[in-house]
Amino acid sequence: MAVLCRLRFGVRAAVRLSSCISIRTSFSSDCEAGTRPESGFAAAFQRQAVLQREAESYTGDQSGSISGQEPNFALLFQMVPVRDRVVVGNIFHVVRDDLYIDFGGKFHCVCRRPAAGGERLQRGSRVRLKVLDSELTARFLGAKTDTTLLEAQAVLLDSESTSQDIK
Amino acid sequence: MAARALTKGLLGLRHVRGATVKFSNTGHHFATSSSIKSSESQTNSVTEKILNLPLEKPDLFRVSELFSLKDLFDARVHLGHKKGCRHRLMEPYLYDSSLDYDIIDLDKTVEHLQLALNTTAETAYRGGIILFVSRRRQFCHLVETTAKDCGEYAHTRYWQGGLLTNAHIQYSPGVRLPDLIIFLSTLNNVFQQHVAIRDAAKMNIPTIGVVDSNCNPSLITYPVPGNDDTPVAMELYCRLFKMTINRAKDKRRQMELLHGLSEPSASSS
Repeated sequence: MAVLCRLRFGVRAAVRLSSCISIRTSFSSDCEAGTRPESGFAAAFQRQAVLQREAESYTGDQSGSISGQEPNFALLFQMVPVRDRVVVGNIFHVVRDDLYIDFGGKFHCVCRRPAAGGERLQRGSRVRLKVLDSELTARFLGAKTDTTLLEAQAVLLDSESTSQDIK
Repeated sequence: MAARALTKGLLGLRHVRGATVKFSNTGHHFATSSSIKSSESQTNSVTEKILNLPLEKPDLFRVSELFSLKDLFDARVHLGHKKGCRHRLMEPYLYDSSLDYDIIDLDKTVEHLQLALNTTAETAYRGGIILFVSRRRQFCHLVETTAKDCGEYAHTRYWQGGLLTNAHIQYSPGVRLPDLIIFLSTLNNVFQQHVAIRDAAKMNIPTIGVVDSNCNPSLITYPVPGNDDTPVAMELYCRLFKMTINRAKDKRRQMELLHGLSEPSASSS
């Protein structure tokens, strides 16, 4: 029992917990039977030792996977462009006056070419944007889920090249 | 009575032993058929050995080396739609929702993607037909070039109602249906589920599908939770599937060459 309490179980070792509970019941049943108590205890002790070794090796492996999990969460708030955030995007498609700009979020945004200095903006140029909404969605009357436009909404600020020229 | 028992016993022996039992009255007819059968069984045993090879090891094609969690993160595979677009059945695959945007749990994606790539590799190894389906107009060219590069098939246009279920009338009676269908986006342009998912389930064809947070993963055999809207993510998936299929086909050719050298010697002896 003390051995069971001392072992630390992580979230993923719930399976181990159930197997330990089964070991405990088998141990108690062996004691009650009284026919071969030594083999019951010895078998349980051996199994506990093996499990402890496995748990120690697993925590060693798990540190690798935890470090894989951490960037997912820690960089989360940096990577998702939130509302009213100024980001730098690059234009990947141009259709006359419409510029399709990708700024690192899930969707791209479509902006109109500005009147001043617009001719300089071609495919591959970098621009500064203020992201108003990362995904344009709305729930209409009678709908179960939102309708999404598969686009973001952003406002073009001064492009980087123009700000460098001014400097 | 003894004769009847003897014939019964002999018949029983024949059913059990197959080609090895020889009957004196049928003579040379049986001998020739037995020699053909033995050579067929030898070639069959070699192909069986080739086909059973991937089943002995968990990851013969080493698909886990093709990608890492960091690659998925860089390709923005974890980004989902807004909370309002979420499908109830996708909730087990979601990690969290940051300010109304759903984030897909990449640990689960890694597991599911490995399973899916393993299945693709095994199907390609056995010479199965793989069909890529996607109704996103933005990526239809990418999907078609991917299919062309790995020698498989793609269908990125309007899906007619009976393509799978009515194939013997729409095409010809003996047409061969795909052995695996890969959906690079499970929704069509009206945000309804693609008809092929239901049809493939009806025709017992296994499916792999990239399911976003607004998709229904229930009918898909190997769902892969991930982003299906960003071009970077789609390019990653296409590259991964292309690499697995090419790897599997190369492995098959290698195995056949390896055993092909020993095949003619076995049949001659």
